[in-house]
Amino acid sequence: MTRADGAAPALPAGTLEARDVYRSFGGVTALAGCSLRVEPGTITGLIGPNGSGKTTLFNCITGFYQVDQGQVTFGGVPIQGRRPNEIVHMGVVRTFQVTRIFRGMSVLENMIVPLRQQTLKTLFRPAIGGHEQERAEHLLEFFGIVQLRTHLAGSLSFGQQKLLELASALMVGPKLVMLDEPAGGLNPIMIERMAGYIHELNQQGTTFCIVEHNMDLVMQFCDPVFVLHRGQTIASGPPSIIREDPLVLDAYLGD
Amino acid sequence: MTGAAALQRWWPWVPLLVLVLLPVGIRETFYLDLLMTTFMYAAITLGWDIMGGYAGYVSLGTVGFYGLGSYAGALLLLRFNIPVFVSAPFIGVLCSLVGAGLGWIALRTRAAAFVIVTLTFTSIVQLLALNLKGLTNGSSGLYMPLLTLPNNLILLPFYYYMLALLVFAYFVSRAIRGSKFGLGLIAIREEEEKAEGLGVDTSLYKILAFAISVFFACVAGALRAQYLNYVDPDIAFDLFITLSPIVMALVGGRGTLIGPLLGAFLVQPLSQYLVFLLPSSVAGQLHLVALGVVLLLVVLFMPDGIVNAYRSARAGGSGWRGRRQTAPPAEAAP
Repeated sequence: MTRADGAAPALPAGTLEARDVYRSFGGVTALAGCSLRVEPGTITGLIGPNGSGKTTLFNCITGFYQVDQGQVTFGGVPIQGRRPNEIVHMGVVRTFQVTRIFRGMSVLENMIVPLRQQTLKTLFRPAIGGHEQERAEHLLEFFGIVQLRTHLAGSLSFGQQKLLELASALMVGPKLVMLDEPAGGLNPIMIERMAGYIHELNQQGTTFCIVEHNMDLVMQFCDPVFVLHRGQTIASGPPSIIREDPLVLDAYLGD
Repeated sequence: MTGAAALQRWWPWVPLLVLVLLPVGIRETFYLDLLMTTFMYAAITLGWDIMGGYAGYVSLGTVGFYGLGSYAGALLLLRFNIPVFVSAPFIGVLCSLVGAGLGWIALRTRAAAFVIVTLTFTSIVQLLALNLKGLTNGSSGLYMPLLTLPNNLILLPFYYYMLALLVFAYFVSRAIRGSKFGLGLIAIREEEEKAEGLGVDTSLYKILAFAISVFFACVAGALRAQYLNYVDPDIAFDLFITLSPIVMALVGGRGTLIGPLLGAFLVQPLSQYLVFLLPSSVAGQLHLVALGVVLLLVVLFMPDGIVNAYRSARAGGSGWRGRRQTAPPAEAAP
């Protein structure tokens, strides 16, 4: 799998599109024909009450679940049925709702695990050193945690772990980063800091799709916003419209 | 180069030099045989640990590959007159291919399936050895001609070959540990889904690691068959060969470079010493019991093995297992 930079053929601009996606587990229907469209350059929000299928949709898009029915494309290329690592190499990377880092490794090692591409040559390269380490340290500096590079990742504070997870995701050189609750569990100051990083990365050209429960954050940063309810997309549009949408209000406040 | 740096760099060569020179001074077969089997177990354990320690996938198929190597060595000698010393590395490569095939079946899923498939593999190969009578002579086994060497020297080629295998295993394990591949394996052990979500082809990594890891058991099996001049299904598929490396890796420290070495050099002499001490009527069974007791004590008091316990004692924290189980620290102010 190759990436768009270097000698590899350029992929079409990365619009992510999920259309009429169905997914059920046993008798439980998690996704019942939901749709999502993430245009390049945006910070697209994905909201919905608990159990509405947001994380399931994330898993379907990033290859962790197979869709039962429907289409997922990135830059016009179908990606459903591909393995997560293949989807990463097409430029879509994700973080997890419950922060997942490699706790027994150092911060720097966490940054080296991600693979931009995979060839046998890269596999047997020394782990630490060279251009890759430079890039890793540059990113850690951006997130203000470079001084912790030799620390065990498991020893970082919760907030720092969230930053590390985002930083390591960026090591794959993604076009689209899908964040599952980036502000979940963070204190208000840290939320502001995280939002600042996302905003700045977006300015630099990274597209984001964010699942978030913090409505202030979503309404402030995301445009457009998609709303899921019972596995279906019930509304989409700019936050000012979403806020007033009766279907959305009903989903959050109704039965 | 400062003294400390020189020591760091050169210390592994000192024990190696000692081991190379030992046969000059020691002629007793008992000790040379003990050392040789220790080398063998150390090499097998280093191999096992690439999969079981780095990647965290426990294989119960070690003796399947060992037995496959034994029979391959014997048959190549008897049918095609190829000396085992020549064929052993090639048999190892062949077994790695078999390992890759088995991995391709078992490693596309996670966790438990792998353990069961490796165990099943052992049973299948053993059944084949028992029942393909035209090829393997069934339970009567295959006799191999003795090497044409004087009696007091006959052990030496095996001693040095096993030692070379051990050194090779050490360097392979070290190269993997320091590579991006090795880091990927540890990532698989810690958070397999996460690794996949960062672009790591976890199936490929695991299959590759397993293929490399079985090489050593296979070569050891081939050499050992020639050493005993005989192979039958009971000897070639002794479950002890599967269990010992696991105990050794656990005692020394899983997922470390030195742990498997240390484990082998502690457990194998201890276990043989017990055989030597105990009356011969019970030794065969009792030293297995002793091994079980050692395993029990290690799991109870030093679940991460000697190397990890030492490291965490020095770092003032817990070993990798302990670290994995710590709850996320409380959120700190930015």
